[in-house]
Formats: sequence, C-alpha cells, structure tokens
Amino acid sequence: MSLFSAMQISATGMSAERVRMDVASENLANANSTGGPNGAYRRKEVVLREAGGNSSFAHTLSNAASAAARAGGNPSTQIGTGTAGVAVSGIVEDKIANRMVYDPGHPDADARGYVEMPNVNPVIEMTDLISASRAYEANVTAMQTTKAMISKTMDLLR
Amino acid sequence: MDLFDTTQLALSRAIVGTTTRQATLANNLANANTPGYQRQDVDFHSALKSAISGGKQAVSNVRPTAQADPTAPLRYDGSSVDVDKENAAMAENGLEHEALVSVSKARIEILKTAMNPR
Repeated sequence: MSLFSAMQISATGMSAERVRMDVASENLANANSTGGPNGAYRRKEVVLREAGGNSSFAHTLSNAASAAARAGGNPSTQIGTGTAGVAVSGIVEDKIANRMVYDPGHPDADARGYVEMPNVNPVIEMTDLISASRAYEANVTAMQTTKAMISKTMDLLR
Repeated sequence: MDLFDTTQLALSRAIVGTTTRQATLANNLANANTPGYQRQDVDFHSALKSAISGGKQAVSNVRPTAQADPTAPLRYDGSSVDVDKENAAMAENGLEHEALVSVSKARIEILKTAMNPR
C-alpha cells in the first residue's frame, strides 16, 4: 500500500459523499412532487459499503509484483491489504409510506379527495446534507495531509 | 561495514509504517458513513521496538499491516469510526512522518558529507 493509494481512498470517500449530497438535493427538490410516472415521488437513500477489491492498474500491478517477489524468496515485500475506500452499493427508495393530504381540488387527488405527498422530511434532508458536507471535508483534509506527506518524502531526494 | 546501519533501516521501516497508517486512516474516514464498518489501525511501533534489538534482519522483516481495531466504541449504526479521533490520529501520524523524514534526511546528509571531501 503506497501513499498514492491513500489519495485514491480519500477520492472514493469524496465521490461517495458527493453522491449523498446529490441525492439529498434531489429529495429536497422533489419534496412536493405529487405527479410522476409512478405516482408521487418517493424519498431516495444512498447505501454505502466498504469497497473490498481494488481493480486499479497500479493495485493489480503491485499485488502481482509482491506475489512474484515472495515466490522468489523475498519475504520483506509489501503485501497489499486490499483496503480500497468506500463504494456506493445502491440508491434505494425509502419504504416509509407517503403522506395522504386532503385536497380535493388537486389534479392528483384520488376519488376520496386525498393527494399522495412524497415521504420527504426537509429536516432529515438538511441534516443529511450537513453530514455529507462535513464528511466530504474530512476526506479533503485527509487528502491534504497525504499530499503534505508525499512532498515531505520527496524531500529525501533533494 | 555497511553503508546503512540498523537505525537507518528502522527509520525507513517506520516511514513505511506511517505511510501505511495514513492510507488506513484515510480508509476509515472514507467509510465514516458506512454502517457496520469496523475501524482499522496500524501498530508498527511495538513490532519495530521488539525487532530493533534483533539486528538488521529482524528490522527489515517488519511489515506494517492494517488490522481491525475491536476496542473502538460502536456508534448506533454499528460503525466504530469517530471522525474527530481519526483526524487527530492523522495529524499525529503526519507529524511523525515529518519527523522521521527529517531525521532520515539528516543522517543521509552526514553520509553525503563523508562521501564528498571538499
């Protein structure tokens, strides 16, 4: 595992948090969308999981190289630990039932005069936005620290 | 006599250690919002401490690896990442890396001076 893989890992974190922000914004924007191809809008949620395998070229090459070195009897070669940051495993719909609001004049009202409103709670979306934004900043800070460490290591050559 | 002594080798292994730890802490931060994620950490200090009396071979065999940290308290969602603690550990790790590189560099400068009589 090299310092550059630390930057890769922070990058996966940043992109995952950005997806969370996108989805929270979409939920907020559709907080009052009653009509759509599948009826009222349903709140969406991002499911994150730890990324297991790293399929990048650099990672594959370093694993192959350390396997070859170990086969050649060099035990001190670094072995990749397989940590590869975070991945978005899916964007799923929230299962909480939509609110029914009595509004007989609404074009999307049913026979009894009720309109199905999205199950979006703006307060939850705002806290999600803040949490995603803070986590994004944490990843940016980690990347800056990694960058400083890389340039310090480069100083050894000067 | 070899060019690099045990201390120099230990310094280079410690730099590998801080590098691996940086990647591991970055991984913890990237998974700050992953439910059920268990944080990992790298403890190369104790391995290096016990190897340093065993001479060069023992020191160069020290391989810092990330290990799960079961002692960290769990959050309500089953994750054991505390963003503040990860940030503090990362700042500490960065300073340690800087110190190691500075010492390593000073020792290499001494060798350079010895090789370049003016």
